[in-house]
Amino acid sequence: MHELGIVINIVEQIEDFAKKNSLTKIDKLVLEIGELSSVVPKYIEDVYPMAVEQTMLQDTTLQIIIVPARVLCKDCHTVFNDITNKCCPKCNGHNLKLVRGQEFNIKEIVAY
Amino acid sequence: MEKYRVIEIQRNVYAKNDEEAAKVREKTREENVFLLNLMSSPGSGKTTTLVQTITRMKEDFKIGIIEADIDSDVDANTISKTGAKVIQLHTGGMCHLDASMTSQGLDTLETNGLDLVVLENVGNLVCPASFDTGASKNAMILSVPEGDDKPLKYPKMFRIVDALIINKIDALDYFDFDIEAVKERAKALNPNIEIFPISARTGEGVQAWCDWLGKQIKTWNGA
Ligand SMILES: Nc1nc2c(ncn2[C@@H]2O[C@H](COP(=O)(O)OP(=O)(O)O)[C@@H](O)[C@H]2O)c(=O)[nH]1
Ligand SMILES: [Mg+2]
Ligand SMILES: [Zn+2]
Repeated sequence: MHELGIVINIVEQIEDFAKKNSLTKIDKLVLEIGELSSVVPKYIEDVYPMAVEQTMLQDTTLQIIIVPARVLCKDCHTVFNDITNKCCPKCNGHNLKLVRGQEFNIKEIVAY
Repeated sequence: MEKYRVIEIQRNVYAKNDEEAAKVREKTREENVFLLNLMSSPGSGKTTTLVQTITRMKEDFKIGIIEADIDSDVDANTISKTGAKVIQLHTGGMCHLDASMTSQGLDTLETNGLDLVVLENVGNLVCPASFDTGASKNAMILSVPEGDDKPLKYPKMFRIVDALIINKIDALDYFDFDIEAVKERAKALNPNIEIFPISARTGEGVQAWCDWLGKQIKTWNGA
């Protein structure tokens, strides 16, 4: 189970950030998780209360924004969402590149 | 309430680990220690391959091993019989090693004077692919019984490694495993990947792997 370790790490990063920016209270944490990243949003939500216990983030809410995958055809520059396609829906080309959907970012916090 | 504000961070979650990994790389570079991160599913033959590798390379290189695989006190024992320096990391059920754990492992092993350190990562093809350990090079093992469709199922791992060892080729006759298909799939994901079909049981193909590794160590250590 690596989600707990990851969330603890995120909490440490936020606490560092808060110290450096003299933030005293955090209200909300927003994460961006790509559809194709190896992270399961549900597991992140499940372990969140455990990970934030007795930290600055103890009373925060967690929001997760799922980033849908996007594939670019390098031949005709079409962008499409359906990652189950093995070729470009427009020109049938195979020269495909994943341009979105693997991210795992701390997007923002709401704080003062 | 109006005092609250939204603060953009836009930071990759792995960024902190990447910073730690850069430190590990800096330190091993200074000490002339080549660090190999070896990954695979459980039972693919990491330990067996290491024993073969140490046996062939110990004349030319001073070798240390960091064992991190779950339940691998046994592995540390097996390795220590080769005469290599070995320590056991207790990862507490973690499914991957990160750069700071690797750094602790290197400190415990006391790497000064070693030429090659191998990290036997936790048996898993998913999580270790996301966590840079700070290794000089990354290698993975895929064994014949696991099937030739693994590059399709775990593309990230195949993308990030420098070398792919295909182990247990002595068992090719018993499994429906298409070696050429694996090579093709791996190359499609990672055109620069080096591929070594071996049998850690019979020793077939192991020398080619050791030759490649030896060359990487010498390049890293500036010899
Ligand atoms: N037939 C065959 N078995 C192997 C080979 N390499 C390892 N094994 C066996 O596979 C099992 C797991 O090997 P081990 O090295 O412990 O895998 P690890 O969990 O990745 O370290 C052991 O029973 C080994 O004897 C090989 O090349 N051929
Ligand atoms: Mg092992
Ligand atoms: Zn197209």
